[in-house]
Amino acid sequence: MSSLVRGNGAGTAVGDAAANGHLAALKGALLKDIRRSVYVYRVDCGGCNGCEIEIFAALTPLFDAERFGIKVVASPRHADVLLYTGAVTRAMRLPALRAYRAAPDPKICVSYGACGCSGGIFHDLYGVWGGTDMILPIDVYIPGCPPTPAATLYGFAMALGLLTQKLKATHYVQGEAERVEPRWPRVPSPLRVTLEREARRMAGYWRGRQIADQFLSFLSADDPRPLAEQLKAYLDQQADPRLTEIMNRLLAIYLAFPAVTGSSAS
Amino acid sequence: MLKLLREVLKVGEATHPYPFAPLPVAPGFRGRPQHAPEACIACAACAAACPSNALALTNDLVRGTRTWSLLYARCIFCGRCEEVCPTGAITLTQEFELAVMNKADLVAQADYRLAACRVCGRYFAPAKEIGYTLALLQQNGLPGDQLEARRALLETCPECRRGRNAAHIAGLVEARQPEVA
Repeated sequence: MSSLVRGNGAGTAVGDAAANGHLAALKGALLKDIRRSVYVYRVDCGGCNGCEIEIFAALTPLFDAERFGIKVVASPRHADVLLYTGAVTRAMRLPALRAYRAAPDPKICVSYGACGCSGGIFHDLYGVWGGTDMILPIDVYIPGCPPTPAATLYGFAMALGLLTQKLKATHYVQGEAERVEPRWPRVPSPLRVTLEREARRMAGYWRGRQIADQFLSFLSADDPRPLAEQLKAYLDQQADPRLTEIMNRLLAIYLAFPAVTGSSAS
Repeated sequence: MLKLLREVLKVGEATHPYPFAPLPVAPGFRGRPQHAPEACIACAACAAACPSNALALTNDLVRGTRTWSLLYARCIFCGRCEEVCPTGAITLTQEFELAVMNKADLVAQADYRLAACRVCGRYFAPAKEIGYTLALLQQNGLPGDQLEARRALLETCPECRRGRNAAHIAGLVEARQPEVA
């Protein structure tokens, strides 16, 4: 696990200074005794602006982060919370550190988005430090690409001690005599592959897989009705012309499949 | 003024009560990937598809294990893993509350046993993946005796198979030498 999760600002001058007990106690006091709004300063360390759009979406009346007194300020000198987005590029690491030094102690650092938490999709690029916690000590991580406004509110509520953490690390070890059987034992593999390819060609990769799985579940179901009738009932209920077209195309492929013609498939 | 007040009353409250009430998410929302470890064959199709290397598999050839790991911190929720998984072991859920205080909680791991080669005894492939391949062959109508031959082949590591093939071909060539001469 240590190889997967790298240090939390450890080894950096800032991280080592923040690790001492005095600042930790101050931080605890900040959370316990805060009687006013929380001021947030947002630092973009080389993100794509997707995270910024979601942060601003969290401030709109629909989610309204100001209900909790969360207010975005224009200077790190006013801030209680520093919100870091982006994968920390070489050019932005010094401004990020300057913002950290400018904010008065005690402060809470939040790493926002997949890039902020670990470098995200840019983690192995040259000139990218790969996550805010490579240069700074971080208190709360909000993963997501980008995190939705609701996930943002949840992360902030957790940073302020209003909500508790839900996610826990898991480690599974394979049991004895564990076996995996094919998912569609009654559908020959060549037919299954043809159906999956066609569904993905027509609907795109993720939705195509779901549509193909839905069709294969009809093929595998113990329903006395003919397949076309089952499919029609399902498609009438869904009332989606695109889904209807794709499903009918899959049905045509199924009926034209050599092994099927002549059997009781219709 | 009254007109404005009437308008305000008519519109009502726009703010959603989340986090005090659960937030319904749209169908098709791609949230936290959920791994069903007992359905996984550790074939690494997901790790090959993952664009951000959030999914990774590491072999321990001494202990004979393969560790599947998912780093939620790096995941971009694209759903490619769900698409490519042959057994449907990984699905994207509707969960979005992933924020943590401790980064170590952003890791999901699963250990699988590797099978040892019949010839040289070295670990080379997950035992579950070999079992799944045989089950697929059986499903597609491979007769029992051929299935046993395939099992012997599949439980041999690629190097040993190559060596055996080379020896076999060398034998064939030798047998044909007199005809050529």
